[in-house]
Amino acid sequence: MSVSETMVRMGELAASSASGHVLVSLGLGSCIGLALVDRRLSVAGLAHVVLPQSPGHAPENPRKFADLAVPELILQLEALGARKHRLEAVLVGGAAMFAGSSGSLDVGQRNEAAVLELLKRLRIPVRATATGGIRGRTIRVDVATSTVTVREAGGTNVDLLVGTEHELEAVS
Amino acid sequence: MSTQYSELQLDALRELANIGSGTASTALSTMLGRSVDISVPTARVLSFADAVDAAGPGEQEMTGIVLGITGDMTGTVLLLIPPADADAMCRMLGVEPTDDIALSALGEIGNIVGTSYINALASMTGMHIEPTPPATATDMLGAIVETVLAGHAFSGDAALMLDSNLLVEGEDCSISFLLVPDAGGIEMLLSRLGLG
Repeated sequence: MSVSETMVRMGELAASSASGHVLVSLGLGSCIGLALVDRRLSVAGLAHVVLPQSPGHAPENPRKFADLAVPELILQLEALGARKHRLEAVLVGGAAMFAGSSGSLDVGQRNEAAVLELLKRLRIPVRATATGGIRGRTIRVDVATSTVTVREAGGTNVDLLVGTEHELEAVS
Repeated sequence: MSTQYSELQLDALRELANIGSGTASTALSTMLGRSVDISVPTARVLSFADAVDAAGPGEQEMTGIVLGITGDMTGTVLLLIPPADADAMCRMLGVEPTDDIALSALGEIGNIVGTSYINALASMTGMHIEPTPPATATDMLGAIVETVLAGHAFSGDAALMLDSNLLVEGEDCSISFLLVPDAGGIEMLLSRLGLG
């Protein structure tokens, strides 16, 4: 099976049901990579959230804000057949890269809190997180297997969520 | 995103970057006791996602030094140094890269170079702007750049990437600069240059 990687860049999101498809956000700093998977159907999505809360008016790129990106990602997953009550979440990112500096003050923490609050309200369980700290991270979501991995700078890929055949049975 | 600025305007911004990095190179040269060359800067206005891509490979290890700009115009100056080059510059200052004070030596390089860059922008445009103290991180390039951009993402989605390189002669090490003004900052720079 050939593997194709789709880069989900800052303020972007993607959903897929194609086997051999991997959704990737490289080098997440204060941003959050939110993976949502429906393991039963092998449908997965990834949002690269930049900020916790949109301003009141219609923003230039709504997908960079947690409050607008999360519902949009769920809509796209549902369009591929996923069911909201089966979705499971994995969060990666939200680091404080420049600890001690002002300016980008704890955007990472606020991003994580905003996404977690939205998921709680939507009753979507969070299966794993690799968040906070001061290191950048890369997230990979393998659509066919619902496997989510994280890699820190200078490190190797670590599984956060593994969707095996056995677990597929258990979920259904 | 396509740029909405004319070639003339981008030329003017490039010239700003040129003089800014020229001044910064003099400061670096004095500090290291070596001559320092500057490359011809590029000026691009990019969406944030494109700006992260344009900075280089997302997972490449890089040392970033960030200085905030406060005053008439707010924004961020980001200095990017490949880690091996950062080590070389520490040695030029007589500091071993593994030493505890290496990080503060790098912060000081960033402080002096970044401050002279910001001061040059101030004197060219007549703006009152000042740098904030530097913060340093060595990590994935993409994570460094996106974190800096995220700090400006609330009000807009366009980054002015004024990218110029300082090359330390005989040492093959370089620093590149990115200037990211807050929304409205690009217009302010252009109007100060008479091209608004």
